[in-house]
Amino acid sequence: MGRYVAQRIGQALLVIWLAYTVIFLAVQLLPSDPVTIFLSTDSAVEQATIDNMKRQYGYDQPLLVQYFAQLGGLLTGDVGYSLASGEPVALRIGGVVGSTIALAVSAFATAVVLALAVVTVATLTRSALLRKIVLNLPPLFAAVPVFWLGLVLLELLSIRWGVMSLFPDGSFLSLAVPVFVLGVHVSAPIAQVLLKSIDTVYNQPFIDVLRAKGASASWIFFRHALKNAGGPAMTITGITVGTLLAGSVITETVFARSGLGAVVLQAVTTQDVPLVQGLVLLTATVFVAVNLVVDLLYPLLDPRILKSNGQGSPRALAV
Amino acid sequence: MATKDKNEPRSPRRFRRAQAAALLTASALLLTACGGNSGGGAEPAANSSEPVQGGTLVFAEVTPINNFQTQSARFYEKANVLNSVLDRLTYFDAESGKLVPWIASKFSGNEDNTEFTFDIRPDVTFSDGTPLDAEAVKANLDVLGKGLEKAQIQPNVDFSAYESTEVVDEDTVKVELKSADANFLRATSSVAAGLVSPKTLELDNAGQSDIAKISGSGPFVFESEKPDEEIVLAKRADYAWAPETAKNQGAAYLDKVVVKYLPEVAHRAGAVQSGQVDLVRGLQPADEAAVTTGGNQVLPARGIDLTANMAAVRIGSGKLADEKVRQALQVGIDRQALKDTVLSDSYEIAGSILNHRAPGFVDLSADLAYDPEKAKSLLDEAGWVAGSDGIREKDGKKLEVTVTSSNNSVVIKPAFELIEQQWREIGVKLVNRAADNTFLATALQDPKVEFFGTRQFAYGGLGPVFGPETNTQTLNADKDLNELFAAERAAADEAKHGELVAEEQRALVLDKALALVLWDEVQVYGAHSGTQVEFTSGTAPIFQGAWKTAG
Repeated sequence: MGRYVAQRIGQALLVIWLAYTVIFLAVQLLPSDPVTIFLSTDSAVEQATIDNMKRQYGYDQPLLVQYFAQLGGLLTGDVGYSLASGEPVALRIGGVVGSTIALAVSAFATAVVLALAVVTVATLTRSALLRKIVLNLPPLFAAVPVFWLGLVLLELLSIRWGVMSLFPDGSFLSLAVPVFVLGVHVSAPIAQVLLKSIDTVYNQPFIDVLRAKGASASWIFFRHALKNAGGPAMTITGITVGTLLAGSVITETVFARSGLGAVVLQAVTTQDVPLVQGLVLLTATVFVAVNLVVDLLYPLLDPRILKSNGQGSPRALAV
Repeated sequence: MATKDKNEPRSPRRFRRAQAAALLTASALLLTACGGNSGGGAEPAANSSEPVQGGTLVFAEVTPINNFQTQSARFYEKANVLNSVLDRLTYFDAESGKLVPWIASKFSGNEDNTEFTFDIRPDVTFSDGTPLDAEAVKANLDVLGKGLEKAQIQPNVDFSAYESTEVVDEDTVKVELKSADANFLRATSSVAAGLVSPKTLELDNAGQSDIAKISGSGPFVFESEKPDEEIVLAKRADYAWAPETAKNQGAAYLDKVVVKYLPEVAHRAGAVQSGQVDLVRGLQPADEAAVTTGGNQVLPARGIDLTANMAAVRIGSGKLADEKVRQALQVGIDRQALKDTVLSDSYEIAGSILNHRAPGFVDLSADLAYDPEKAKSLLDEAGWVAGSDGIREKDGKKLEVTVTSSNNSVVIKPAFELIEQQWREIGVKLVNRAADNTFLATALQDPKVEFFGTRQFAYGGLGPVFGPETNTQTLNADKDLNELFAAERAAADEAKHGELVAEEQRALVLDKALALVLWDEVQVYGAHSGTQVEFTSGTAPIFQGAWKTAG
């Protein structure tokens, strides 16, 4: 177990370091440096001004020096300064990330509940029609774009019926509606994978044995099928983090909420490359961290992972 | 690419979003037309009523922004807030087209425009209690002209001739310039030349960018904020130093202004119609009719301080190196069709690179008339001949050109879509990357990207916009143009200066055709029926003179 954990954590750190390096190189591939790009949002700036600002932010240093200076900063939590506001990037992101986490976590919980509800109803119902309807929900949820659902709900609830504000005002609806919009979207892949693996589980002989022993349909579903189908669903859950983050950004923009979405919008509007760099790095880190957690939880669901002596990856087993 | 990875999914989404918005609007219109919804509640617009004291005005801006340092990049989001918080030495009165006294009760220049004297109005204070006197003005001018090293603040491009300020007495300053600048006075009217308290200037960069920490002498002061969601400004009861021509000479009528953000363009019309906001910036042309039918107001704020919207030309790819090609593209644009299809009555077709109401504007519209035949023959003359697919070629290269722009303007992308069709008729292929901010990050500094769709603040002459080698419009310093800019800035008398500004426009638009001009800059606001508000020559709402009628 200890070796497995150390391996996973080591891999995660390696991925974050590689992500940092790729982002650093990508910035170098821009046709000019972050300071020049930032200053070009004004019509014309004199070369002396550009040189001066480059010096102030260290962009006049040789590339290797910049690379290690920024890497060193990263280790101490310092990811540079936003060129637009002069604020440390970490502070800028840290100031709003809570709001995004609240949205993302609530939406994720909603998504899991929705996915479980869909799978439970589809598996246990005796009505063929209801089963058919429920089975078609995940593809529908996946097809409805987050921004569209958000726009329509706001148009109806806020502009037409006046029951909620266009702006976040702390009311129940102003949190519940964006959470629902994002949750619906994220629930789709989880439900789809869960349905598929439940099907696989039901085709296995031990289910017949359970039936022969007289177990009830719900007993089989909740005690046996769901647990065995959980692995693949958890893997897909780790992957939905990306959807969740991108969805949060869009949801926040549609609902005018503060959070990473607003920062992304600002960073792009003001051509603030260090801020964008910080955001990309944060996204990569969150992605890696969540998948690390999934990897670490996996042996609890499926002990075969550890017994395979690190030969097969959980992903290989899952798919 | 760092920026690319992050934002790749945004562009297609934006586009789809625009489509969804159009659909929504269409269905909303249909429903309204069927009488199924009476949400708008058509109240008659109050026009000539007396100002009403009190109340809170809710203003929806486009994008939240957090760099409020006075002189750094000039975003509308920033100017629209700072205009109410900071006063300037002078004010450009759009009605008379003249510069009038504000914090400077009197101002004058010497004969050769190298020395300017400002008499500072007595008894003006910043909101932190510091007097706005000659010392405070000097401190501000020094930062505008030289930047502020310790706070990483860069000099203001319009103050590049600045040398020093001498405090003559408590309420008089004398400014020395390194070289003559006929546009210096006008630049002091810009929001980017807003005066802040000397105590604000002592803060670090982040402090000076923080709206909560900026202290000005304006009619409103910062009260509170929810970061990225709203800013609340409260009126300053003792305000008594409005610009000379302002209708309201005292404190603001409104008690408070709340600035909120609506990044989602589809909600802006609805926000006004449902009465959730009193004023919104960035209305789409397609939504204007719905707003007025609902009894509310569409208010176009003319960008007199700005150039027209244009496709500025970069010649780096070589395809547009011949001015005949550029001239062909200039007359290959059907501007009337642009207005009829993509824009609305709130927009005015450009007659030059300067705004119709800007001092020194010269009407070039006769030379800008749509003439595809002339365009074709100019292209023929330049040696570009039609290939098998209808696109012209020369030396094996296709006449395929690319445009980049930010997504700040709601109409820029559809505008270039139409131009793309128009140019196809004269055998030119336009690759439309307008409103793609991700592409912009790389294209802004790439001289091989032929067009930059933009408009810029221009206080007088066009030198600061097109002069420096680093200028974003052309990414190139043109020797003849720079000689012209220098002569214009140095022009001693007003008539001569006007002549040279006219010559700059002719050179940029006609002879060199480095700016394909499209429409005069305008920011279209939607206002609820009971809102009374006017705008500065830089399109900022003047909340000091605004009021709300009951309802």
